[in-house]
Amino acid sequence: MRDIWLIAKREYLEQVRGKAFKVTTVLIPLVFIGIFALIAIAGKNSGVGKHIVIATADPALAKRIREPLIADKDAQMTVDVLAPATQNDRHRLLEEVDQKQIDGFLWLEAPANGPTKATFESRSSGDFATEGRVQNAVNHALVEERLAARGISTGDVEELTKPIDLGTVQVKNGKETVSSALSTFWAAYAMAFLLSFTVVMYGMNVGRSVIQEKTSRIFEVMLATVRPGDLLAGKLIGIGAVGLTQITIWLVAAGLFAGSALGARTLAGGLKVHVSAPEIVLFCLYFVLGYALYSTLFAGLASTCDTEQELQQYSPLAAVPIWLSFGMIAFIVSNPNSIWSVAISMFPPCAPITMFLRLASQFPPYWQIALSLGLMAVSVYILLWLASRIYRVGILMYGKRATLPEMLRWLRYS
Amino acid sequence: MSTVVSLDRISKSYEQKIAVSELSLQIEEGTMFGLLGPNGSGKTSSIRMMIGITMPDSGAVSLFGKPFVRESLKRVGYLPEERGLYKKMKVIDQLVFMGQLRGLEPAVAARRAHDWCERMQILDSAGKKTEELSKGMQQKIQFIATLLHDPELVIMDEPFSGLDPVNATLLQDTLVDLKKTGKAILFSTHRMDQVEKLCDAICLINKGHPVLQGSMREVKSRYERNHVVMTFEGDSSFLQHPAVKNYKDYSGQVEIDLKPGANAQDLLREAVSRAVITKFELMEPSLEEIFIRTVGEDVDA
Repeated sequence: MRDIWLIAKREYLEQVRGKAFKVTTVLIPLVFIGIFALIAIAGKNSGVGKHIVIATADPALAKRIREPLIADKDAQMTVDVLAPATQNDRHRLLEEVDQKQIDGFLWLEAPANGPTKATFESRSSGDFATEGRVQNAVNHALVEERLAARGISTGDVEELTKPIDLGTVQVKNGKETVSSALSTFWAAYAMAFLLSFTVVMYGMNVGRSVIQEKTSRIFEVMLATVRPGDLLAGKLIGIGAVGLTQITIWLVAAGLFAGSALGARTLAGGLKVHVSAPEIVLFCLYFVLGYALYSTLFAGLASTCDTEQELQQYSPLAAVPIWLSFGMIAFIVSNPNSIWSVAISMFPPCAPITMFLRLASQFPPYWQIALSLGLMAVSVYILLWLASRIYRVGILMYGKRATLPEMLRWLRYS
Repeated sequence: MSTVVSLDRISKSYEQKIAVSELSLQIEEGTMFGLLGPNGSGKTSSIRMMIGITMPDSGAVSLFGKPFVRESLKRVGYLPEERGLYKKMKVIDQLVFMGQLRGLEPAVAARRAHDWCERMQILDSAGKKTEELSKGMQQKIQFIATLLHDPELVIMDEPFSGLDPVNATLLQDTLVDLKKTGKAILFSTHRMDQVEKLCDAICLINKGHPVLQGSMREVKSRYERNHVVMTFEGDSSFLQHPAVKNYKDYSGQVEIDLKPGANAQDLLREAVSRAVITKFELMEPSLEEIFIRTVGEDVDA
């Protein structure tokens, strides 16, 4: 026990005093803030400053559609009206879109006896923001028109068609919580990101550290007094403690920021982040288990390699579960309780990330969280057993990278 | 004298390759023991089993008179052939860390580290990071780390490789001093001249098998003294004596190989009766010759 503690302490102090620790402690939050700011800004700015044309035979309807579009300050749209329009105009408009003189046009056909047909033609098919705005404007205008046709006064029409904002209320433990859905979502989402990042970063860190000790030929010196298992345990604990230290620094810094005046002002505007105590506890649990899983894996693999380049070849083992988890973001967030979402949040390599993605939209039942943590703990235990046996042999083997059959044979050595 | 290390027919094989086969040896306290053999003969494998880094497939290892237990390792200092240090650590921190792992209190470890650095003439570098030091300096630090906890058994695998003559002598002298204080010292090498000078007993292994062992005297006495170097003036006809197998005459100095079982004294009597002898020396075979004769031509070292 004393040996493990000594080795962990040495590892911890060396890493915490190192340059890399200081750099990542500052840089990673900055990168995160940058990414989220970019997403927020890009979301707000999509479909801004577009120039469209409304072409219809009915000038009054065109005017009704144009009004709300121009009134939308966020969109900063330029809306021209072409009424009455003919088929020739349509060809001309198509050409204008093609030559990028306008971003798109709305073609409205309103036959006297039949439903109104509206088509929005634009170059990009993915500009959902603009399409949404135009759609709303058209619907709104048609409702107004129909109401007016039934003899309702303009004032009444406006009163009747006033849009309502959809308020969101999350039901937690049978109680309504007014915390906006968005703030909870962002918090859990950010935590999933942070977890994937730190778990893999520190897992790889252990692998690198093993390689460095192997190239510096320190192992045999150490093994003359220390058991290989203690050596591995000390390293895992030491580097894991470095990770927890870094996360604590971030959490405290984030807390101080949120409490400060500047933070209060920034967070007041929509981007509210709400972190609950269970989430922090779960975050730490998933970090520890996820870290243990990946670091044990990489420690075992690193002991079979001679150089960092050789270890790099194993990096897909960490990358694939993360791609898989983030590839399922949209699905998990909208169907947090479907069988697939539950299954992937039980799968140990993906559990830390996917469980937090589920948390983002809905707090899963406690038994599922307990089961996923339990499964992780079991797989950590199995992996630890395998890795320590491979490690014990691998650290004394120099030369070419071990193949899988060789590693399997090592398991049998005593 | 008590036995510090006792190996009883230990064997180890990996896959198809036999690393060590039926090796037995004893190392007494206050002696220096040489473990010899060509490269890949199983020296390092034997040492690893001696200190529990690997376990023998069969046979028994005893340290300090009792079967191997890890607790005994606190009394052993091991300097492996593949050796290194933590590059980013300061020399003194490193030594204290190693001392602590071997059961020393930090303060004791620091004081001893200081004393040793002084003795090894590297006190100026004690505050530097290991990576800033030359290879020879690093080797001295490893040497200190091995001895810091005052081990009763010192095991050194190729301790002098890569050292300049001045530092090699410094290390040699230190080892001799340690031997005088009653430590048992085992070192492996293929430098025969060092072994001949330093060791009290040897074990020569080849392809995992022990082929020759015993005290230096005993080993040498097993080989006939059948090489004579002499200088003389006068009649050289005694060289036709039946004991002489062949000879090389370098104008006055002759090197003679005797026939097996021949008596050198007969030859000397014959020579004295015919010529004036100024020197007649019956040479014992050098360890190097023994090594080559025993291991034979199939050494790929």
